[in-house]
Amino acid sequence: MSYIEVNNLKKDFTVKKKREKGKLLREKEIVNALKDVSFSVEKGELVGYIGPNGAGKSTTVKILSGILTPDGGDVKVGGIVPWKERKSHVKNIGVVFGQRSQLWWDVPIIDSYMLLRDIYRIPKGDYESRLKELTGALDLEPLLRTPLRLLSLGQRMRAELCGSLLHRPELLFLDEPTIGLDAVSKLSLRDFLKWENREYGTTIMLTTHDMEDIEALCSRVMVLGHGKKLFDGKLQDLLERYDTVRNVNIKYDGEMADLRLPEGIKWKQTEDGIELSYNPSDFPTSNLLGMLQDAGNIRELTLQPENTDHLIAAMYKELDL
Amino acid sequence: MSYFTVFKMRIRMELQYRGAMIGGIACQMFFGLILVALYRALYAGKPQSLPFESVATYVWLQQAFFRMMLASDSELVDKIKSGDIAYDMCRPVDMYGFYYARIMAQKLMGSIMRAVPMLVLASLLPMGWGIRLPASLPGFLAAIPALFLGLLCVCALENITVAFTMKTLDPRGMQGLLNLLMMTFSGNLLPLTLFPESWQKVITFLPYAQLLDAPIRLYTGSFMPNEALRIYAIQAFWVVILIALGEAMWNANKKRMIVQGG
Repeated sequence: MSYIEVNNLKKDFTVKKKREKGKLLREKEIVNALKDVSFSVEKGELVGYIGPNGAGKSTTVKILSGILTPDGGDVKVGGIVPWKERKSHVKNIGVVFGQRSQLWWDVPIIDSYMLLRDIYRIPKGDYESRLKELTGALDLEPLLRTPLRLLSLGQRMRAELCGSLLHRPELLFLDEPTIGLDAVSKLSLRDFLKWENREYGTTIMLTTHDMEDIEALCSRVMVLGHGKKLFDGKLQDLLERYDTVRNVNIKYDGEMADLRLPEGIKWKQTEDGIELSYNPSDFPTSNLLGMLQDAGNIRELTLQPENTDHLIAAMYKELDL
Repeated sequence: MSYFTVFKMRIRMELQYRGAMIGGIACQMFFGLILVALYRALYAGKPQSLPFESVATYVWLQQAFFRMMLASDSELVDKIKSGDIAYDMCRPVDMYGFYYARIMAQKLMGSIMRAVPMLVLASLLPMGWGIRLPASLPGFLAAIPALFLGLLCVCALENITVAFTMKTLDPRGMQGLLNLLMMTFSGNLLPLTLFPESWQKVITFLPYAQLLDAPIRLYTGSFMPNEALRIYAIQAFWVVILIALGEAMWNANKKRMIVQGG
């Protein structure tokens, strides 16, 4: 049996709508946040969980972390049903919600950590060595005595992450952990997560909209949309399936002749050349190159792979998300 | 252990709000003076059976411990509204107990910080305006456990309000209603000792009378020290009932919990 087992998970929310004119009662709408989701995760895996806004990603995380009770389906994490045995389940997990805070606003973060130490009953020696390790890795040492409200967003995120990992959870949920971070903070956060995963075999489940997070961290990615799982596998496979278009940028020396390209190739004139995008399976590359060479003396040719965000957008579009 | 730590942290947080303390004292002194003046006018028109000094003492004790009664932890309410409560649900603690400890710390520290200076100020007021010494030493000693039981009671009530907030996601409606009941039946608006005798027979058994009215009556001698055990028993009864009710509401809420905003 896998470490995390999710079978036919369902969750509905009732949304009350504004009362329409002439009607006595407000209409209710049932939103099926999760319709039928199944997956399993092995210990030590680093899994990315993506999907457009409102796909049900956070709902899944909340169910897996014991906060929400689902309307149907089975979930077991390490043999425990999260919402039934909440207390014994949450001892072993750590959670970071990118847009929420677990640390106390008005007190120095070290005090919040001490509260967490007592909540999780971390032995004193273990707490100190772990705190040292985490503050070192996350560069938090100088901030420990600062109240949370004085920290910047990136500093706060690092402090939150440290708080979620103090008790050495075997499973870590990260819900958009890099939201609003600058490039340096993002990179160091990713390095840290990789290190934590390698060093302690921590299982990590990450939801994000930042495809670079996924590229950098996750070997496996799950795509969720309309409350259903649409893809589960390697990120590379996912990208290859949608990575069909090539972007080419060509610069010519001197005059260029009148260029006629077949239909299906999108192109536009630039200052000293053209930009085009084509699908190699629709149009042979050598034919295209020949046409381009006939048009003039090519000085420079650059190939640009499609941006991951565009690929994901193309995928969402194709799946009608 | 963790309950004690959250208690300590909330106390330290409360200690940071010294400005709020000074503002609160000024406000409660003002209300106390107005109320005493009002009852002086009432007594001048139509003297009541209860001695006036006892009414003034009642008013001052109510005002001094105001923070124990009508003060909700706004940070707690914000957590529920914003969804940060999700984090607290990921902790291996009993949520009810965790919040109970937090509420108690705020009410205890908040009221001590205000009560001590206020009682000093109120005792310095001229005769017939200020607070009187306790009726007897045994009465005073009997009032202290009663005050503590009252604190346990009010924390349980507050936790019920929080449980309602988890249901409605906005504290104002239910809090307003429950606060009105609290103001009326705890003796904050009008000392319960001034209610008609027949009313008092019922009102003194309600949970709201257990908070401050019971200890104040022991202090002023309106309850005799030899009645103390009977009073503690009523208070303890309500503590048990209110905690059980609050826990049941929390557990029910957990099942139908939603977390707002993503």
